[in-house]
Amino acid sequence: MRHLHFVAAMCAALCLLAAAPARAALNVVTTVPDLAALTKAVGGEHVDVQSMALGSQDPHRVDAKPSLALALNRADLLVCVGLDLEIGWLPNLLTGSRNPRIQVGSPGYLNASQFVRVLEVPPGKVDRSEGDVHPGGNPHYLYDPRQGAAVARGIAERLAQLDAKHAADYRANAAKLTAEIDKARADWEKRLAGLRGAPVIAFHKTTAYLADWLGFEPIAFLEPKPGIPPNPSHVAGVLVLARQRKARMVLIESYYNDREAKMLANMIPAPLVTLHGGTDFRAGETYIQHINEMVGGLEKGLAGAKGG
Amino acid sequence: MSSVSRRPHGALVVVSIAVLLSAAGASAQEPPSSPPADAGPPASEVPPGLTPEEMAEIEKAFGGETQQGVPASTSAPPDARPGGGLPLSIPGAGSGTNFLDLSFILDVAAAGFSSKEPLQGGAHDPTRNGFNLQQLELSIGSVVDPYFRFDANIVYSQFGVEIEEAYGTTLALPYSLQVRAGQFLTRFGRMNATHPHAWDFVDQPFAMSRVFGAEGNRGLGVELSWLTPLPWFVEVTGSATDATGEATARSFLGASNDRVLSPLDLQLTGAVKQFFPLSDDLSLLWGLSAATGPNPTGYRNRTDVYGTDLYLRYRPITAASDTLVTLQVEALYRRRQVPDDVLTDYNGYAQLAWRFSQRWATAARYELGTAAHGQDGEVAADPLDPEWTKNRDRVSVNLTFWPTEFSRLRLQAARDDARWRDEADYSVFLALELVTGAHGAHAF
Repeated sequence: MRHLHFVAAMCAALCLLAAAPARAALNVVTTVPDLAALTKAVGGEHVDVQSMALGSQDPHRVDAKPSLALALNRADLLVCVGLDLEIGWLPNLLTGSRNPRIQVGSPGYLNASQFVRVLEVPPGKVDRSEGDVHPGGNPHYLYDPRQGAAVARGIAERLAQLDAKHAADYRANAAKLTAEIDKARADWEKRLAGLRGAPVIAFHKTTAYLADWLGFEPIAFLEPKPGIPPNPSHVAGVLVLARQRKARMVLIESYYNDREAKMLANMIPAPLVTLHGGTDFRAGETYIQHINEMVGGLEKGLAGAKGG
Repeated sequence: MSSVSRRPHGALVVVSIAVLLSAAGASAQEPPSSPPADAGPPASEVPPGLTPEEMAEIEKAFGGETQQGVPASTSAPPDARPGGGLPLSIPGAGSGTNFLDLSFILDVAAAGFSSKEPLQGGAHDPTRNGFNLQQLELSIGSVVDPYFRFDANIVYSQFGVEIEEAYGTTLALPYSLQVRAGQFLTRFGRMNATHPHAWDFVDQPFAMSRVFGAEGNRGLGVELSWLTPLPWFVEVTGSATDATGEATARSFLGASNDRVLSPLDLQLTGAVKQFFPLSDDLSLLWGLSAATGPNPTGYRNRTDVYGTDLYLRYRPITAASDTLVTLQVEALYRRRQVPDDVLTDYNGYAQLAWRFSQRWATAARYELGTAAHGQDGEVAADPLDPEWTKNRDRVSVNLTFWPTEFSRLRLQAARDDARWRDEADYSVFLALELVTGAHGAHAF
C-alpha cells in the first residue's frame, strides 16, 4: 500500500513538473546554427531558439543524441535544411520526439529548402557510385546570403502562421534583416569582386551556392567523390589541374581534417581559406557576422594570392 | 488450478489488450481537446480571426473535440511520385517527402574455427568454417499517416524468410507517450534491440543468445513508452510480448507451446533509459532493464532477468576530428525457478571501440558467463545449457574498414575459453557488409 502512495505521489509530482513551464515564447529547434541565427533574428523576443548541431560540426554526421529528441519533444517548430542533409540522423529523432506538432507535414515542420533556388539537382537517375550524392540537389545553400535572406522570409511567414499575435513583428524583423543582408551584400560583393571568374579548389561539394553568388569557378574537389576521403592519385591530379589553371585558393570547411588541403595549398602554392561550417550561434554570433567573417577569410585569401 | 477456474484470466488478457489498443486508437483518432501539458504555442488555442464563441461553436459541432492534434497539411503536398518509375523512392526537390524507404543489408563472412563445434550462439553469427551468409535484411520504413509509422525488418537466410520485426509506432499520442505494436525486439538493455548493421563486432555477445536466444529477445506484443517531462532525457518503456520461441524467448517459455491463459503467461519487460550530455564531446546513456515471464519447467515457475547497460561515447565536435571512442558495458542477472531450486547466473560483456580515422576503427570486447548456481550456492544442472558447468569467457578484437558509410569490411579474431571444454577455441572472421537503398538514420 505504501508503495502505491509513493507511486501516486511521484505521478503527481511529474504532472506538476510537466505543467509548470508555461512559456510565452515559441520554442524553435533548428538542425544547423545558421538557421537558428536566422530564426532568432526574425523571431526576436518571441522565440526561444536552439540549434541541434554546432557550427563546428559536420551537418552530415551529427550524433542522434537522445537529448536532441528531448529538445524536439518540447519544440513548437522544427526548421531543417532538407535536401537529405540531415537524413542520417534527424528521422529517428523526429519519431523519438513523440511530438505531433513537428512531424513532417505539420505546420511545426519547416523544410527551408523550399525557399531556395536549388542548385546541382541531378538531371537523371542517381546512384551511389557517384559518392554520397544528394538526390534532391545541393543542400549547402546557407553560404549564399541571398538564399539566407529568402529563408529568413520563409521562416518569418511560418512563425506568423504559428503565432499570429506577433505576425507583424516577424514580418517587420524579416524585412529589416533582409535589408541589412542586402546592404552588407553590396559591400561583400565589392570586396570580393576579384573572385569573379577565379579558379578555386574546394574540399567538399559545399561551394556551389558560394560560387553561384561570387562568380568563382570551383575547378576541382579534394574529395574524389562526395564523402570519399582524398587519396594520393586524386590529389596529384588536382594539383596538376590547379597549377595548370592557376587556382587562386583552396577552400575547406572547418569541420573537415585539413591535412591534405594544407599540403595541396603549399604545393600549388595558393592560400588555404578555412570556412566556418556555420554560425557560432551559441556564442551569440549572427548570420551576417558569420558571412562577414567568411568574406573576410576569402578577402585575405584573395590578397594572399595576389601577393604570392 | 483447473482450466475452468483459469478461464477468467484468459478473458482478462483479451480485455486488457483490447483496452490498450482501443485507447491507443481512440487517442489517435480523436486527439484530446486540451493540448498536451507542455504544448505552448498560441496556435493551438483559438486560431487568429476567430472569437472564442465561434471556436466553442465549432467544438460543439465536433462533440467537444477539436482537431488540434491533427497535423494539418499546410506545407508542400506529398511528392506525387510514389516510386512509380523508380525502384527506390527519391524525395522530390524541396519536398523531402517520400512514401517508402527500402534498403537491403547484406552481411556475409568467411570464418575459420579451431573447434569442430564452435560455441557461436547468435543466429547471425558466422558458425562454421568457410563462407557464411549472416543475413540479408530487407528494411522497410514509412510514415503510414499522421498517426502511425511502419517499420519492418525481414531477414532472408539461405533457406527461408523470417519476419524479424514488423511494427507500427504511434506519432501523435499526447503526453509524450508512444505505443509500438506488432513484432519487435524488446528494448531490454542496449544490444538486444540493435541489428547487425549497428554492431561493433561480427557476432553478438553470447550473453544475448544464452539468455534470450539466437535471434535476441523479441515477440508479438505491444509496448508503451513515455518520455518523461524531467529536464534530462528519461525514457520509461514497458512491453508485453509473447513468451514463446526457442530463438527469441529462450529463458521463458522457449520452444514449448503453452497457451496464454493469463497475463502472467506473457513476457513483461520494463526499461528506464537516461541520457546525460556530459559535454559537447562526451555523452553517457545508462539503462536499467527487467524482464519477467513464465518458464516451462513447472507450474507457475518464472524467469526474471535484470540488466544494466552503460554507453559512454566520446566524439569531439567542437573541432575537426574523425575520432570516436565508445565504451559499452552490459550485465545481465538471470533468476530461474525450476523444480525444487532457483537457478541464478550472470552474463555480460564490455567493449571498447576506437574509430581513429574516417575509414578505420578497432575494437576489443571481453565477455563472461557464469554457470548456473542453485540456492545452496553450488553449481546446479542447467536445463537449457547442461554443459555450462563452469565459467566461459571470450575475448574478441577486430579491425574495421569503411570504404564509405554504405560498405564495411571487418577482420575479427577471438579466443573463446569455455572452461568445461578441454581447450580454448580460436576463431577468425572476415566479414563484408553492404547497404543499398534508402539512407537509413542511425540511432544513438
